[in-house]
Amino acid sequence: MRTPQLADTAGAAPHGLDDVIEVGGLRQKYGDFEAVRGISFTVPRGEVFALLGTNGAGKTTTMEVLEGFTPATDGTVRVLGLDPVRQQRELRPRVGIMLQEGGFLGDLTVAETVDLWKGLSEDAGRPVTLSGGAELPGRLTLMGRVRGVDRATMGALELVGLESKARVKVKQLSGGQKRRLDLALAVLSAPEVLFLDEPTTGMDPEARRTTWKVIEDLRDAGTSVLLTTHYLEEAERLATRLAIMHEGRIHTHGTVEEVVATSGDRIAFRLPGTAWTFGDLPVLDGVTPVLTYAGGGDGTAARSVTASSTASSTVPSTGPFTEVVYTLTGADTETRAHAALRPLMAWADGRGAALERLAVRRGTLEDVFMRVVGEQR
Amino acid sequence: MKTDVLHAVRLARLDLTLVARNTTVLFNVLLLPLLMAWMFTGAQGGAEVAGVPGGAFVLTGVPGLMLGFAVFINLVNSFTARREELVLKRLRGGQPSALAVMAGSGLGALALLLGQMVLLGIWLHRTEGVLPANVPLILLAAVLGVIVFGLLAAAFSGLTPNAEMAQITVLPVLMVMLLGAPIAFPLDVLPGPLGTVSGLLPVTPVVEMMRTGFLGADHFSSGGEALSTAGQWVAALPSIGIMVVWIGVTGLLARWLFRWEPRHG
Ligand SMILES: Nc1ncnc2c1ncn2[C@@H]1O[C@H](COP(=O)(O)OP(=O)(O)OP(=O)(O)O)[C@@H](O)[C@H]1O
Ligand SMILES: [Mg+2]
Repeated sequence: MRTPQLADTAGAAPHGLDDVIEVGGLRQKYGDFEAVRGISFTVPRGEVFALLGTNGAGKTTTMEVLEGFTPATDGTVRVLGLDPVRQQRELRPRVGIMLQEGGFLGDLTVAETVDLWKGLSEDAGRPVTLSGGAELPGRLTLMGRVRGVDRATMGALELVGLESKARVKVKQLSGGQKRRLDLALAVLSAPEVLFLDEPTTGMDPEARRTTWKVIEDLRDAGTSVLLTTHYLEEAERLATRLAIMHEGRIHTHGTVEEVVATSGDRIAFRLPGTAWTFGDLPVLDGVTPVLTYAGGGDGTAARSVTASSTASSTVPSTGPFTEVVYTLTGADTETRAHAALRPLMAWADGRGAALERLAVRRGTLEDVFMRVVGEQR
Repeated sequence: MKTDVLHAVRLARLDLTLVARNTTVLFNVLLLPLLMAWMFTGAQGGAEVAGVPGGAFVLTGVPGLMLGFAVFINLVNSFTARREELVLKRLRGGQPSALAVMAGSGLGALALLLGQMVLLGIWLHRTEGVLPANVPLILLAAVLGVIVFGLLAAAFSGLTPNAEMAQITVLPVLMVMLLGAPIAFPLDVLPGPLGTVSGLLPVTPVVEMMRTGFLGADHFSSGGEALSTAGQWVAALPSIGIMVVWIGVTGLLARWLFRWEPRHG
């Protein structure tokens, strides 16, 4: 019988107790180039963790260290409590890997590829239990059997909507279809941890949704997932936690809500006319605005203008401004945004300015991403 | 271990399937050595070599040639192509161990070699009336040869940037194999030290074991006297020793040079 205290701890699922992936101070070098520069994060069991970031940020590198392809240059990594390189044999049967690209034998058919993989996922004496079984509802109404393709293989293909391609050579598949086959292989042996490196890149919107459903079903069945993606809506939909990487470092991480909240609230409007100078605009809640300059009839290009760039006087500080945005960050941004509208309206009335398309909106993950990346440039 | 064997067998079966589907490979691997055997026997005419009819001498030497084609070239090609296409990486990301992946390719190549040797055996029986005297010795020679040339292929694939270049990187080894081994002529036609060096290269021991195993006579020296089965094994010991050393050497080379992934940049 459990003591109440223990039950409490279990209910809270505190960090560290049941983390399937632990990364601490990970560094990875290729020759002199440091692709990953000391990152740390954990993925609790049954959660989807999204690793976002710019091209070359080090996402794939991080994944490959966790998958046991290369030992870490420095730092610690554990997957299911095991060292991915030294305890590879114990680990491999328990993880599923979807690489960022490639790795198919073009002369095999789709069904043969699944069969091969099934055969290679099998332990002598322990046939593989396909994760195409009853625990994955949705697409698993087995249609008629295709000649020469067994039901389990068909089930895996149905999961990703490739059943009509069973007897087609892999080299004849389209890019998105190859991604789907890749997914089928990764989930074939019902892994406890799934590594998905850009799983939906190149997929059509329908296939992407199917893939999301597969991932959600697996997650709900207890699979933990580390995912990289360039589609922010994918991360928002699937992930509980995420991290944004840039040039080898994690710049923001936390739950999706926490991360999105760091982008605060925005007051945005358009200000027509050319008579405005930067200094004319009010300071709201202690914040100066960012102005997007539309580019004038004089041939100057569109650009963003902030107080600091104006101070350096390399940017024209007069209109026309297409958009004016005040970003309020920190605590209580909703109330503060509301409160800031009053002085803004007073300012507009006083100047006889017509604020077009005035809006208060929540920041998005994309705003956070752009800010994080922008701050580093 | 049992799982490794299971995986290796499945990978070997995969290799054979893929060879069967690729006519270029099929030609290079299977037909070319047999074609060359036919040319060599023609060139030898009916003359005796080292105490046996020229045809029998050449046909029992041809497995050395097959090691070059069915094993070495075939594996350099497949290791290189699969590395560049990230197949090796994917395999390594799956459950088969590195050992099982290598052993699978080795087993596939061994199956090809043995298949060709069966054809060769039939040919030998039809034309020379020879039945193999010591099958275990022949098999051992085949296995040792496949291990050494499989490891050498792994090492060479590491030096080969892409599948097209494989045609070129295999050439030096192929030349040495063709010229420095007693395939179509005995080693003593080579001048002095070259003969000794050739005797230490890995094809020579394999060919000598095969020839002795097929013909039941001592083909380790140029004598060619008939030997009892036990005598054949004793005479084979130095050759086995040389091959074991080569396994060590090529194993180190493979370890050093073999790459699972394409080099970046
Ligand atoms: N084997 C390698 N040798 C040298 N440099 C490498 C190697 N692999 C990756 N890099 C470099 O490391 C950096 C991180 O690469 P990585 O593939 O991890 O990026 P990523 O975040 O996955 O990018 P993307 O979103 O484009 O997939 C890049 O600058 C890349 O050029
Ligand atoms: Mg990547």
